[in-house]
Amino acid sequence: MIMNEESVLKFNNVNFAYEADRTILENINFEIPRGDFACIVGPNGGGKTTILKLILGLIRPVNGSVEVFGKKPDEIREKVGYVPQFSKFDSGFPVSVLDVVLMGCLSKNFWWGRYSKKQRAMALTALDSVGLGGFEHSGFADLSGGQRQRAMIARAIMGEPELLLLDEPTASVDVKGTEQLYNMFAEMNKKFTIIIVSHDIGFVSAHVKTVVCVRKTLQIHPVSELTGESLQKLYGPEVNIVRHDHRCSEKGHVCHHS
Amino acid sequence: MSSFLTDLLELPFLFNAVLAGILCSIAGGIVGTFVVLRRITYIAAAISHCILGGLGAARYFSVVYGLEWIRPIYGAILTAILSAVIIGIISLRAKEREDTVISALWAIGMASGVLFIFKTPGYGEDLMSYLFGNILMVSSQDLWFIGILDIVLVTITAIFYRQIVAVCFDEEFARTRGLSVEFYYLLVLCMTALTVVLMVSAVGIIMVIAMLTLPVAVGCKFFNRVSKIMLSAIILGIAFNVFGLMASYEPNLPSGAVTIIIAGLTYFATVLFFMFKKTKIKTKLN
Repeated sequence: MIMNEESVLKFNNVNFAYEADRTILENINFEIPRGDFACIVGPNGGGKTTILKLILGLIRPVNGSVEVFGKKPDEIREKVGYVPQFSKFDSGFPVSVLDVVLMGCLSKNFWWGRYSKKQRAMALTALDSVGLGGFEHSGFADLSGGQRQRAMIARAIMGEPELLLLDEPTASVDVKGTEQLYNMFAEMNKKFTIIIVSHDIGFVSAHVKTVVCVRKTLQIHPVSELTGESLQKLYGPEVNIVRHDHRCSEKGHVCHHS
Repeated sequence: MSSFLTDLLELPFLFNAVLAGILCSIAGGIVGTFVVLRRITYIAAAISHCILGGLGAARYFSVVYGLEWIRPIYGAILTAILSAVIIGIISLRAKEREDTVISALWAIGMASGVLFIFKTPGYGEDLMSYLFGNILMVSSQDLWFIGILDIVLVTITAIFYRQIVAVCFDEEFARTRGLSVEFYYLLVLCMTALTVVLMVSAVGIIMVIAMLTLPVAVGCKFFNRVSKIMLSAIILGIAFNVFGLMASYEPNLPSGAVTIIIAGLTYFATVLFFMFKKTKIKTKLN
């Protein structure tokens, strides 16, 4: 981690537990610099989603602090775009694609039920940039899985955030769709800092700049250092590793091995 | 049928009943859509059954203690709002075993109602009209009341429509946008409570939930936008109520039950129609 670079996200000695005797996260320290494309990986129950929720300000750390752009997460919501795991949606919900995308501009101060012309224009631009131009009047329920995921991304980026968070964006998208999504993320990464949560480490490592491994404690790797050994430490010895062509990061790196 | 139409112009109680049916359907279509989309029909049913406790208590205190200003509908509103808030807080806090707690409140509400009615001197017939409703008994005072509540519900919906839909669609995302999900959830429950009170006079406690959900369920089959479903549910609700009154008037049948039967049959006819349509398309493709 290069410290003189401006960081968009900073965890300082963060501990988190839902119940007193069940620690989910222990002494988490890391920073994500502006322009990074990071992926949080780890086993189920390892604390990936908890980290995401802490960044979003949906939960608060037990000790330590989380800073997003130097502020508390719930003070800086307009700069953070969030794409939830879409598998948990009611797929028959009666809304149009445009309706869904416009939800991205709701805020605490949104008053009286109408969206402005400017907000509609922003929503259409966001749909264009995820390749869903022309779909604005389609029913959300009529879209394919990959298209729905894109609509969710459009909703997250319509408010022009600086940090984009995605929870398992490629779950229930096929291999071809996944490849397309990652190409799109690479394009978006020119504008936003991106953090993805994924279980699919093999695929992710070919695309991202930084890998954040979470299993109660946290280790951060540039993709070049990601070896079978570090994955085994994370997932246990039974894990099967399929090697992809790893792209090496030019950046230097410090590892916080616990 | 013809006697219904001539009597409609001559008998004010019949005119009131039709008007009550129309006004209830407006509230029902709006709130019913939120209830179906947020999947809280079970909670709406619990609230409606708790109302019996309030109706019974209000009647008891007004008869036994001579407090004539206490009308049953006041008790109904109070218990409906109270149970909506209690159930809302429970379902927000307790993620597990929520249904058990709600069932317990549902039963306690009904049981206390039965006890109050048992201890109130007078006719036991009251119980029947609470349970099954009697739209022909609606007074013009009730109509004013229903009208004002309609205006309140429409205003709240106009102000918070986008937020409520967003919270129903994706609660977590709404939270990340800084919306108070708890506030909107309790708001929808309180709107449901008020609507249920209105509808109890038309179709009674037991059948309220059908009147709240069946028009929306039919609307969902035809439309795929929240606003269109809402509008179609209002129109369908009015049609069910008016046809229910018409069909029950001459044979002198309970109008609430006839209304529900019409609504239910329409729903199943729609479901069958779409099933048939689907298989027809499939066989064509093969």
